[in-house]
Amino acid sequence: MDVSLLGVFGQKLMEGQKMKKAAPAASMPVQSKSGRLWIRIKQQKWMLLMMLPAFLCLLMFCYIPLSGWYLAFSDYEIGGSLFSGKFVGLKYFIKIFRDSSDLSYLLRNTLVINCSSLILNIVLAMVFAVLLNEMRWKKGAKLVQTVSFFPYFVSWVIAYSVVWSMFAVKSGVINQFLVRIGALEKGLNILGDPKYSWGLIITLNVWKNIGYNTIIFLAAIAGISGEQYEAAALDGASRLQRIWFVTIPNLLPTLSVLLIMNSGWILNSGLEQFFIFSNSTNWSRMEVLDMYIYKFGLKMLDFPYSTAMSIIKTIVSIALLLTVNWITKKISKSAVI
Amino acid sequence: MKFKRTPADKIFDGLNGLIMLVIFVVMVYPFLYVINFSLSTLSQATGSLLLLPKGVNLDAYTTLLGSGTILHAFFISAARSLITPVLSLAVSGMAAYALASPNLVFGKFFKTYFVLVMYLSAGIIPSYVFIKLYGLMNNFLVYVLPGLCSAFNLILIRTYIESIPRSLQEAVYMDGGNDLQAYWKVIFPCCKPVNASILLFGILNNWNAFIDTQLYCSMETKLYTMQYVLFNTLASQTNIEALKSGILKAPNSQTLKMAITVITILPVMCVYPFLQKDFASGIMLGSVKA
Repeated sequence: MDVSLLGVFGQKLMEGQKMKKAAPAASMPVQSKSGRLWIRIKQQKWMLLMMLPAFLCLLMFCYIPLSGWYLAFSDYEIGGSLFSGKFVGLKYFIKIFRDSSDLSYLLRNTLVINCSSLILNIVLAMVFAVLLNEMRWKKGAKLVQTVSFFPYFVSWVIAYSVVWSMFAVKSGVINQFLVRIGALEKGLNILGDPKYSWGLIITLNVWKNIGYNTIIFLAAIAGISGEQYEAAALDGASRLQRIWFVTIPNLLPTLSVLLIMNSGWILNSGLEQFFIFSNSTNWSRMEVLDMYIYKFGLKMLDFPYSTAMSIIKTIVSIALLLTVNWITKKISKSAVI
Repeated sequence: MKFKRTPADKIFDGLNGLIMLVIFVVMVYPFLYVINFSLSTLSQATGSLLLLPKGVNLDAYTTLLGSGTILHAFFISAARSLITPVLSLAVSGMAAYALASPNLVFGKFFKTYFVLVMYLSAGIIPSYVFIKLYGLMNNFLVYVLPGLCSAFNLILIRTYIESIPRSLQEAVYMDGGNDLQAYWKVIFPCCKPVNASILLFGILNNWNAFIDTQLYCSMETKLYTMQYVLFNTLASQTNIEALKSGILKAPNSQTLKMAITVITILPVMCVYPFLQKDFASGIMLGSVKA
C-alpha cells in the first residue's frame, strides 16, 4: 500500500470544484473550427513546448511499454524481440486460473497484509493524533510527533538493517535481552519464521507510515471549533467524554475518506519491502502478487506468464478504483477520478 | 477555555504520557542502537542494550571510508538524489503550468493523458523490456529519465498554480513576455511552498530507492547506490570479505554492517530536523480537507 498516493484524492476533490469554474471560460470563443484551432496552437506554442518533455517522458516510460502487454498473449522466448512470439490467445490467463492454485495463497497473503496494514495504520494514526492533542506538555507532543515521522523517510533496506539488529536470532539485541532475563529459551526467528511474517510486515508498515497519517488527523483536529468543546464542557462532559463525543466524531469523515480511498490500492504492494524481507524460509506467508510477478518474470524468465498476471492485477485494481470512486461520489458528491 | 482537572484526568494524563514514552522509544531506540553499536568495540557491545556507545572504536568507519566501494556508492546516490529531483521539478512544473491554463488546446486530452498514468501501469516485465530496448540497462540515466515526469507532482503543482491569480500571467503577456518567461519569472517563484516539498520528497525518494538498481543495474558495480551496497552487505558475506581484503585488523562484520547503515541513514538524519515543517505543509497541500 502506498500511503503517499492518498494525497492525490484530496487534490482531485478540490479540482472538481475548480474545473466547474474554469469551464465557461474555455467554451467562450465559438468560431470556425479548423482555422481557429491552428491559430490557437500557434498562440500556445510556448505552452505546448513546455509540456513536451513531460509528454515524451510519459510516452516513453508509461504508454509505449503498455504495448508489452502483447507478451502475455504470445509464446515469447527469451532473447527474441518483443513481438517475435507466436500469438497464443488466452493460454497464459487460462493457466493462471485453471492450472495453477497459486492465486489463492497469493491473494490471501496480499489481502491479509494490505488490509490489516491499511486499517491499523489509519485507526492507530487517529488514536495517536488524539492522544498527541491531549498532551499537556506541548513541546513533548511536538517532539514525539517529530520522531514518529522519521521512519517514514527511511528506506526499506535501512528498515531491514534495523530489524535485523533488533531481532536477529543470536545477535539481535531484543532477542539477547529476552534470553538473558529468562523470558525465552532461545531467540525468536522473527525474520525467518513464516509464523511471524505477517505480524512483522504489518507492524513495520504501521511503524513507517503512522507519522504521515497522523499529520492529516492533526490537521483535522485543528479544524474542530473550540465552541464544540465549550458546549460539551457546559453540559458537564468529562475529558474522556469530550474526546469520545466531540473529537472522534469530527475525525470520522477523514477516517472513512482515507479508508475508502486507499482501498483502491489493496492489491498493490511495494516490491522493495517484499524483495528485502522475504527469504527461502518465510516465502509461503510473504509472497504477494507483486513479488510473484517479479519472481516469475525476472528470476524464472517466464515473461508471458508474469505479464499475464500483472495485467490481471492492473485490471482488477482499476475496477476497484472505479468502484471506490463511485462510492465516494455517492457519499461526497465529488468525483475522485 | 479552561477545564477543571479531576483525578480521572490525572490518571489519563499519566497513561497518555506513558503511551507517548513507549512510542518515543519504539521510534528512536532502533536507530540509537544501530549508531551506538557501530561506534562500539564488539566484545563490549554484545549483549548490552547500548544506550551509550561502549569502548568507542571508529575502526569500522575508517575501514569503510578507506574502501572505494562505499565512497563511490555514496557519490552515485548523492548524484541521483540531486539531479533527478531538480530536473523532475522543472519538467513537471512546466507541464503543470500549461495544464493549468483554462483554454489549452486539446486540454481534455492532455489532462487525461497525464492523470491516467497514475492508475495504469505497464508492469514490471514490459517496463523492463523497454528499458532494455532504450539501452538504459547498466546506465546512470536509468536513475534519471523514468522519474522525470511524476503525474502526482504535476497535479500537485497544477492545483497550486490554479490558486494563483491569472492576472499575474497576463501582466507578463502585456509586457510582451511569452509563457516560458511567465512561468519561470512569475509563477515558479510563487509556487515556492509546493516546489520545496516536492524537491525534498524527490531527494529522499531518490536517496532511498533500491529496487531500480536491483532491476536495471545489478551487473554494473560502478552504478551501485548506497542502499544497494547496504543490502548486499546485509544479505551476504561476500562484500564484507571484499572490504576486508588488504586490511590487517578488520572490524567485525556486524559492526561494519551497522556502520554502513549509519552512513546510509546519516544524510536523511541531517536533513530531517530542518525539513520536518516543509514536509508537514507539503502533505497538507495534497491531502484531504475533510
